[in-house]
Amino acid sequence: MKQATNPNVDVKGALSKGGAFHGFLSNFPTPLIPLFIFLSIFFMWPIGALTGNAFKSNEGAFTLANINLLFQDPYRLAFKNSITLGFISAVVGAIPGLLIAIAIEKQGSQTFKKFVASISGVLANTGGVPLAFMFLAAFGPAGLVISALKSIGLDLYGLGFTLFSFTGLVIVYAYFQIPIMVIVITPALTALRSEWKDSAASLGASKVQYWARVGIPLLLPSFIACFLLLFASAFSAFATARALTVGNIALVPLQIGSLIDGNVTVNQFNLGYALAFGMIVVSLFAMIPYIWIQSRTAKWQNK
Amino acid sequence: MKNLGSKMILVLTGIFIFFPLYAATEFSMRNGAEKTHGLNAYRWIFEQSGFSENLLITARITVLAVVLNLLIMVPTVTWLHLSGQRYKRLVEILTILPLIIPVVALATGAQLALPEFLQNSVYELSFMYVVVAMPYTYRALDIGLSGHPLATLTNAARNLGASWLRVLTNVIVPTIRPSILAALFLMVALSLGEFTLAQLLHWSTFPVWVTNASQQNIIGATALAVGSLFFAWILLFGFTFFGGKKSNTVQEEA
Amino acid sequence: MADNSLVVAGLTRHFGAVTALDDFNLNVAKGELVALLGPSGCGKTTALRIIAGLEKSNSGQVQLNGKNITNDPAHVRNMGMVFQAYSLFPHLNVTENVAFGLKMRKISKSVREKKINAILELVGLDHHHKRFAHQLSGGQQQRVALARALVIEPEVLLLDEPLSALDAQVRTNLREEIRRLQLELGTTTLFVTHDQEEAMAISDRVGVMNKGKLEQIDTPDTLYNKPATEFVGTFVGTMNHLHTKLSDGKISLFGQSLDAMKSGNESGNVIALIRPEAITVKTDGESNATVVTRSFLGASSRVTCRTVDGTLVEALMTSAATGDLHPGSQVQLQILSKEVLVTNV
Repeated sequence: MKQATNPNVDVKGALSKGGAFHGFLSNFPTPLIPLFIFLSIFFMWPIGALTGNAFKSNEGAFTLANINLLFQDPYRLAFKNSITLGFISAVVGAIPGLLIAIAIEKQGSQTFKKFVASISGVLANTGGVPLAFMFLAAFGPAGLVISALKSIGLDLYGLGFTLFSFTGLVIVYAYFQIPIMVIVITPALTALRSEWKDSAASLGASKVQYWARVGIPLLLPSFIACFLLLFASAFSAFATARALTVGNIALVPLQIGSLIDGNVTVNQFNLGYALAFGMIVVSLFAMIPYIWIQSRTAKWQNK
Repeated sequence: MKNLGSKMILVLTGIFIFFPLYAATEFSMRNGAEKTHGLNAYRWIFEQSGFSENLLITARITVLAVVLNLLIMVPTVTWLHLSGQRYKRLVEILTILPLIIPVVALATGAQLALPEFLQNSVYELSFMYVVVAMPYTYRALDIGLSGHPLATLTNAARNLGASWLRVLTNVIVPTIRPSILAALFLMVALSLGEFTLAQLLHWSTFPVWVTNASQQNIIGATALAVGSLFFAWILLFGFTFFGGKKSNTVQEEA
Repeated sequence: MADNSLVVAGLTRHFGAVTALDDFNLNVAKGELVALLGPSGCGKTTALRIIAGLEKSNSGQVQLNGKNITNDPAHVRNMGMVFQAYSLFPHLNVTENVAFGLKMRKISKSVREKKINAILELVGLDHHHKRFAHQLSGGQQQRVALARALVIEPEVLLLDEPLSALDAQVRTNLREEIRRLQLELGTTTLFVTHDQEEAMAISDRVGVMNKGKLEQIDTPDTLYNKPATEFVGTFVGTMNHLHTKLSDGKISLFGQSLDAMKSGNESGNVIALIRPEAITVKTDGESNATVVTRSFLGASSRVTCRTVDGTLVEALMTSAATGDLHPGSQVQLQILSKEVLVTNV
């Protein structure tokens, strides 16, 4: 369909005047070869290799032993924790993010929206160790908020709260999860035409009915897609988790990190690869639907 | 009154966003255990031995990553827009694959698979960074080129007598320059903040070194975190409000 | 009064320092099609949206069938509305779109289906039940939007520039369809547009608006032939503006003495407003103008001439009568009407 609009520019002809590959790989386009080779070496081969090793025993034979280990503690626990962390962090990011994005949409000022877009961009990319330190300053044992609350008699750390925990991670992750949601859902919100709101009203729909029958169905794909993205982000995050909780909670990225650092049990040096493979499988379940939904909504959102 | 609810939400959000920042800023300006405040901690990181050395390492990694990225992506995307339209879907899928794989897993695979000579060099990170950034750099270039009728412009230039080299320098590169800059910016930001791959592959890059140094001096580390955040904000504000799209299509007058 | 379905009185709307509507009054009889015509910013859409309940006025009243609905929210007013574009819900197919209003009214499924089939047949889209908005052409989308608004049997049908986004040919066809539907169903209709040809072609009455005020509301004929103000005269159809002097109720143009129709207190230097078809171009007689261009429009031709004092005058005549004319021809202009509308300079 697209070829009809594409005038025939003979780039291939120009490039092939000296090319040795011309005609060699006739079904695979020559210009795409560099990209393909690069991805093969630096992406597909590492992934393939680790997948292969995940199923290898110490002697090199095929085995499911490594995979089976994943279903036993402490690895089973790590997956449980990481998946739960992903899910909870996604909820904590998605719902406030949606409400905030709606609140922003309602403001008329264009300058404000530009301001928000800039801030969201930076916040969404804040992570790792700097983020951990920032929250330490506020919510760490000597943090500002903690001290302030202590002075009015509320000793959070005494009550068992600590930043170096699952809850702490969820709070810290929210700092970038919420902006990511705002960034992803805002285009979907702007695509909600006022004509639809007005049409629904004139046809007899109250505000609630409009949201239930029109607004939410139209926002849902983007919302779900973003939720999946937030899940995958929280599930795979390494640096912040390491800074705040290493040793305290079993999390898959940290276990892999520890194995790579050389804390290897002699019998199972392929375990690290099995863990990585497990991570990829979980991530696939989130990211493939994400990509699929995004490619679908792009079509009608641009109309 | 009717916007009260949303205004309240925004105020609460503002508090949540800025409070840790305020706390961190206040903390970073403390002079050790004394009660006074100052900007001493902001100098700290620059004074550490290893600062220039590691910054240089990261700079070199970044340069190679940028060069690799542009070498591979620019011709590919250009060709896609000029005569490779029907392969767009394929390339879109190929370039989004890295997004699916957690970086930790990629690091594990890299450590296993990459050839010895590469693994002995810190520059293996450059190659991995190109992979990790690919979903974003491809899209930046794609969107940048989509805005312009590249085939039409190229045909027009050829029609007026330009050689292919001229077309490349006078038509394609200027058109694509904003997106190249965006991809560049992405790569630099990535290198300066990327911890996971560097750490797991046991290299000391600037972010890794900073993290280790931070263990000794919490105030200094907080100053660094706050400083880099503000710096990024200033850059992005400047970009949003003063840079960005200069070309807007002229509105037709009725 | 009893025949009036919609009564709008004293509507005023300010946006900061800008007055969008200034004391707007309108009576629409049952089954009537009234057009609100005017340039962008004249307030016609604001008026429509206030009537629909989508916006509030600063003062004034809206009454429907004698009942004051000024403070009623939009979703209880039972008015169908069609917009310029993006009318249809993108995630619902044609049937579901049309069913929307019926579902809000809790109409049972079987009754719904009958009504939907009937209305879709009426608008000529009975084979498109399962299609979605992006699979339909612009004209088809607007037809579905019409069907959706009409199937709920609204008290008033409100159309906000429904044809403006469509191709010329589709526009002409669809406007006839709207009129046909409206007459067949007897629906009171208010139609907002900036296209005067459209408004004049299908409306019972047309209200011309300018800068928030309703300047004149009359049948198309009256509006065209007896414009109350210069704005109305110029906006509807084409008008020649000729400077002349008014004395004793008469003006002198091209050697003719004509009765002047005053709209106000005109005197002394005035502008005479004359329709092109009221001016004839003669090749015999004493010449008082030179032909600049002749535009062949098919059955008629438009002849633009320059008078001795430099004014450009436009005349509309049959093509047969102007066959000999070409740029540079010396001609005599003559005004055919006995009375001429004048307005202050």
